[in-house]
Amino acid sequence: MEIKAVVNKIIPFSNVDGPGNRLSIFFQECNVNCVYCHNHETINLCRSCKLCIGKCPKKALSFFENKIVYNEEKCCECDTCIKTCPCSSSPRTKEYTVDELLKIIDEYKLFIRGITVSGGEATLKAPFVTELFKRVKKLGLTCFVDTNGFFNKNHIQELIDVTDKFMIDIKAVDKIEELCGTKLKNNLENLEYLLKQNKVYEVRTVLIENHMDMENTVKTVANIIKDYPEVIYKLIRVHITGLREEQKEIIKGNIPSEEYVRELVNMAKKIGARKIESIC
Amino acid sequence: MRSQVEDILDVVTSKSSTYQQKLFSLANVAERLVDPKEVLGYTDEEMMYIENHMICDLNEGYALYRPRYIVPDYNVLLTSGCKFLSLDPPKDLEELLDSLLILYSHVPSITSFPVFIGDLDKLMEPFITDEEKDYVKIKRFLNHIDKTIVDSFCHANIGPEKTRAGELIIKAVVELENPTPNMTIRYDKDITPRDFALKAAEACLKVSKPSFSNNKMYNQDVGDHKIVSCYNALPSGGGAYTLPRLRLGTIVKGVKSIDELMKDRLPKVTKAMATMIDKRVRFIVEKSNFFETSFLVKEGFIKRENFSAMFGIVGLADAVNYLLKLEGLDEKFGTSKRGDEIGHSILELIDGIANTHEAVYSERTNNRYLMHAQVGADLSEEDKDNTPAHRIKVGEEPILPIHIKQAAPFHKYFTSGTGDLFALDQTYLNNVDAVLDIIEGAFAEGARYITTYLHNTDLVRVTGYLVKKSEVMKVQKGEPVLRDTEIMGFGTNSIANVFERRVRKDGN
Repeated sequence: MEIKAVVNKIIPFSNVDGPGNRLSIFFQECNVNCVYCHNHETINLCRSCKLCIGKCPKKALSFFENKIVYNEEKCCECDTCIKTCPCSSSPRTKEYTVDELLKIIDEYKLFIRGITVSGGEATLKAPFVTELFKRVKKLGLTCFVDTNGFFNKNHIQELIDVTDKFMIDIKAVDKIEELCGTKLKNNLENLEYLLKQNKVYEVRTVLIENHMDMENTVKTVANIIKDYPEVIYKLIRVHITGLREEQKEIIKGNIPSEEYVRELVNMAKKIGARKIESIC
Repeated sequence: MRSQVEDILDVVTSKSSTYQQKLFSLANVAERLVDPKEVLGYTDEEMMYIENHMICDLNEGYALYRPRYIVPDYNVLLTSGCKFLSLDPPKDLEELLDSLLILYSHVPSITSFPVFIGDLDKLMEPFITDEEKDYVKIKRFLNHIDKTIVDSFCHANIGPEKTRAGELIIKAVVELENPTPNMTIRYDKDITPRDFALKAAEACLKVSKPSFSNNKMYNQDVGDHKIVSCYNALPSGGGAYTLPRLRLGTIVKGVKSIDELMKDRLPKVTKAMATMIDKRVRFIVEKSNFFETSFLVKEGFIKRENFSAMFGIVGLADAVNYLLKLEGLDEKFGTSKRGDEIGHSILELIDGIANTHEAVYSERTNNRYLMHAQVGADLSEEDKDNTPAHRIKVGEEPILPIHIKQAAPFHKYFTSGTGDLFALDQTYLNNVDAVLDIIEGAFAEGARYITTYLHNTDLVRVTGYLVKKSEVMKVQKGEPVLRDTEIMGFGTNSIANVFERRVRKDGN
């Protein structure tokens, strides 16, 4: 059987997922669970618990052949299903084959300079994405991977080879488990590995107080990327817009001041990182 | 539409017009007082289509004494100066800018203001010596235009080549934030360097200009041309005699079937507009003595042989929506496959008639009138039912990628101009490359003209021209404002909600 992957969302024109106009594909499933995650509904696969069906105000959801079926035309995008879901998933996902995705990309190829895969965590679908990238490159488009940094590089070597650039999170260098709910610690090692292969477009750190050591994280990343002048380092102040109530409670008191973000930017610049951008 | 003697006093006693606006309005009332049957020889059928609002002549009047749009070749000023105005060829930037300002006040048009003021970058480039000092002069010149040519249909061109002058002009329009002049970069990705194009795209986001025109496509269709007025592509050293338009949203009203429209009503009205244009053009050329008397003709700024006329349409969306309903479909133009099919068949029919009609005095365009997607106006109650050009109704637009793919194929019909507008979200300022990618994609799909602007700027493109939102709000309160286009902006916004266009955030 042809391989398929569960996709949460496709954005045909995105201006925030790498250089120029890009088509972004958000795959379902993530291997970490960060306190400030803005796409909670992309973390797990649907377990067909059916809780969302009754809550949908437009009756756009139903149960058919042991699966939740989603009627796109009826949906009003109120997100009640996502808010209801007890397992950080969404009934509004869709399974695609490489061929099917390629058909969509082909439709927009004149408007975009490439595609970016994100998630969830796109590296979890490495074989699928590798196949997709090989085909997309034939259209003359570039292929970017947006990753949380936690992957086994030996397992995804073929994907790394066909990828033009990575956009990689360094969520933290310490307290990772508290921040991201994972015992994985290989993000820095992965960053260095990709840098050496000239595969990094951008590194990102979300800044949150108490759940991470902001100074140490920024300092460590700045020291690593200072020898790569083309690499962008984005410092993003955590925000609560669009988050779940329980997340807001955790984050509210831990938003760093704009002034402190500026201090961190200056520190990273002093260390020698060249392209620093802050988003407050 | 004809005027009445009572209109004179209405104009004279208006509280919301400046002196100059009243003067021009009075002239326009006079042009419409005469009887088109007598003066132009309109038939009863032609008159009927004007009176039932199916054809709109944009109040051009029936005693025509100048072409609607004039596109002077300003190079004449560089090589020969202007004898009529006693101007020698300019020797430096100051003399050039001064002579241009003098010449502008003698270039007529339908609004009495020049609709084309030159390839400003190319005119200025030979005189650029000191970028810092020249910048001050250029900025002052552009500001002077904004305050004296009080009509945003006044249009300047830059590109496709990158020049120092072009960069200074872009810098100045961003700093000035003025509605006038309207501006277009004639863009060709094989000629325009990326860095220059990015500066233009960024300016377009910030101050809604320059817009991008598909230079290759227009060169192919119109040859040597300029972009003038809203977004009209017209022959250099010539222009357009007249621009009447078919109100498609009005024409469909009452038909019982698509067949009735396509086989009977639409061909009849379209043919009547073609013969009406013939009569208008003949009057300008044969009776008005414009081409015999104008110094612009005598000194070679324009040639009669470079003129053509425009065949306008408006309200495609409304016409299609009416027909979709007739077919029992609960769909809207813009997001309906069947709607697009109907839209294309309507335009193919009009295009077929316009392109088989033997045009008069239009040898420059192979004796054919040029199709034009007119952007709308507020001249009659019927204009409420006629969405600009072939655009999707504001509020019914799909997401940006789908919108552009829907719109681009409609551009092919409109040799003398059409364009689409997209209000973008602030985030595009951080990735202007993405804007240029979208424009290039649209051109590759056959689009002729694209404008973008940030939804939160004060300077907004109404349909093809620019207005300041804050000035339009004054009109709403009945206060006099500087520009006639601000008054039109008020009329158009109250009809079409153009200030409320869908804002594209992250491609949506």
